[in-house]
Amino acid sequence: MITPLARRRAVRGIQYTILIIFALIMAAPLIFVLYASFLAPPDYLRIVPPDQFTLQNYRYVFSHAPIGRWYLNTAIVTGCVVLGAVIVNTLGSWALARFQFKGKRVVFLTIILILLVPLQAYLIPLYLQVVNLNWLNTYWALIVPFMVNPLLIFLMRQYFSRLPKELEEAAAIDGANRFKIFWRVGVPLTVTGIATQAILIGTWTWNAFLIPVTFVNDPNLFVLTLGLNSLQAQNYTLPTVQMAGVVLLTLPIVAMFLIFQRFIVPSFATTGLKG
Amino acid sequence: MLAPAIALLVWWYAIPIVDSIALSFQHVAQFDFSQRSFAGLQNYQQLISDPAFRKSLEITATFVVGVVPAQTVVALVIAAMLHNISRAKGAFRTAYFVPYMTSTIAITTIFMQLFVKGGVAATALSVVGIPNETWYASTHLALWFLVIVYVYMFVGLYIVIFTGGMETIPQDLYEAASIDGAGPLRQFLSVTIPGVRPFLVFVLVTGIIQAIQVFDQAYVIAGGTVLGSPAGATSTIVIFIYQQAFRLLDLGYASAATVFLLACVIVLGALGWRLAPRGD
Repeated sequence: MITPLARRRAVRGIQYTILIIFALIMAAPLIFVLYASFLAPPDYLRIVPPDQFTLQNYRYVFSHAPIGRWYLNTAIVTGCVVLGAVIVNTLGSWALARFQFKGKRVVFLTIILILLVPLQAYLIPLYLQVVNLNWLNTYWALIVPFMVNPLLIFLMRQYFSRLPKELEEAAAIDGANRFKIFWRVGVPLTVTGIATQAILIGTWTWNAFLIPVTFVNDPNLFVLTLGLNSLQAQNYTLPTVQMAGVVLLTLPIVAMFLIFQRFIVPSFATTGLKG
Repeated sequence: MLAPAIALLVWWYAIPIVDSIALSFQHVAQFDFSQRSFAGLQNYQQLISDPAFRKSLEITATFVVGVVPAQTVVALVIAAMLHNISRAKGAFRTAYFVPYMTSTIAITTIFMQLFVKGGVAATALSVVGIPNETWYASTHLALWFLVIVYVYMFVGLYIVIFTGGMETIPQDLYEAASIDGAGPLRQFLSVTIPGVRPFLVFVLVTGIIQAIQVFDQAYVIAGGTVLGSPAGATSTIVIFIYQQAFRLLDLGYASAATVFLLACVIVLGALGWRLAPRGD
């Protein structure tokens, strides 16, 4: 006779086992890449003790590819997009959440409509605009079009809408102007929302591929995703070198994720979409 | 305060979206994009009779059918188990979510090494009768390779969305079911699934919309050769558009295919909107 308690324990045990196996499946490729990146090429796919690990793949990547330059490009592009987009989106969503003005409904509905259109569906005209501005192979093409994001305006508006009206009324009585109210009342109370925006757009920009591959073909202007793609194609026969490239591309974002994960996971869960 | 946002939205979103539709009715000169002439419905007529386009629709549909049920079912089951346990929840969630944070280029590069002939995964799967060959170079397996890479990356996101949804289910529903003698499977079917219905609709609709637009993974496996390699086996809609626009420089024709993609996304979005229960 199986008691209910024993049965519940068994069920729980099975659940933990499945969750652990699934976690191992999800982690295995990442552990594999980290491990393989430290192996001498002849040791690839062999089990070797840690004292035989080598940095030669990393040295090879650094000496055969301008990876420092790629890091710099990625950091410049990501930094500018995050800074610009956070300022533009936050200001815009404050106006949408707190002000009454003519045509507000139209603006808001247009933003929602734009939000539904994927980048793939207007990439060609976007490319034509970039060509017209002579922006191919420049940082501008990777930064300026992405300094506004309809999804993030929408997200930020939710944060501002939740603030009580009395706060800004009190500030207005104290003689603060519109901008001061935004800066002194709106911003300090929505730091979480602003940080969420920064993390989302930062991750999207860091990992972006379609835009850089379309707008940039000068290796000196490659961002890391493009660099890794070319490294992968050129070192077809050197898997350990490719794996070192993967680690170099992925490390900063995974590190950021592990540090701020409590904060990041819910923000992706609420927006749900990528890019 | 709204001015910078509006200016940028109009210039970089609204105008290109409208222009995309305009371009689909035009011919664009191949090496001077400023020369555009009205083409009427020619691009669309060509599109309908283009076997390459029809093939890309077929490939995209197969991809969606491969991806969406798999990622939804796995995410739902794993999320339900995660919801039931009390210890190490956060650690599991982290492990499942990390792949989604990394770039598609990195993940595709790793999986190409795992699924090369004699690679770890290709060898392991040959035990169940799948030929031990380089998956992404095989016309039969390349698309399924993309499905695996894609599901691996996105399943973590949907697990997180489902666990969030399950937290909104009142605990006493489970207790009542338990008193009625419902086992874990019964509870999953009659409490958890109805409880997360709105999230299920969201995950299905978003999942389809996202999967239709797959591009990066297919670009990487082509490795600088013809897009859609091997032999067009991974020529999805967006790969078809990209090939027409940026390799063959036929911008008007590519735009007609783009408008088709846009229409699909809007129809699916509207469908999701209708199916989703109001009030959230």
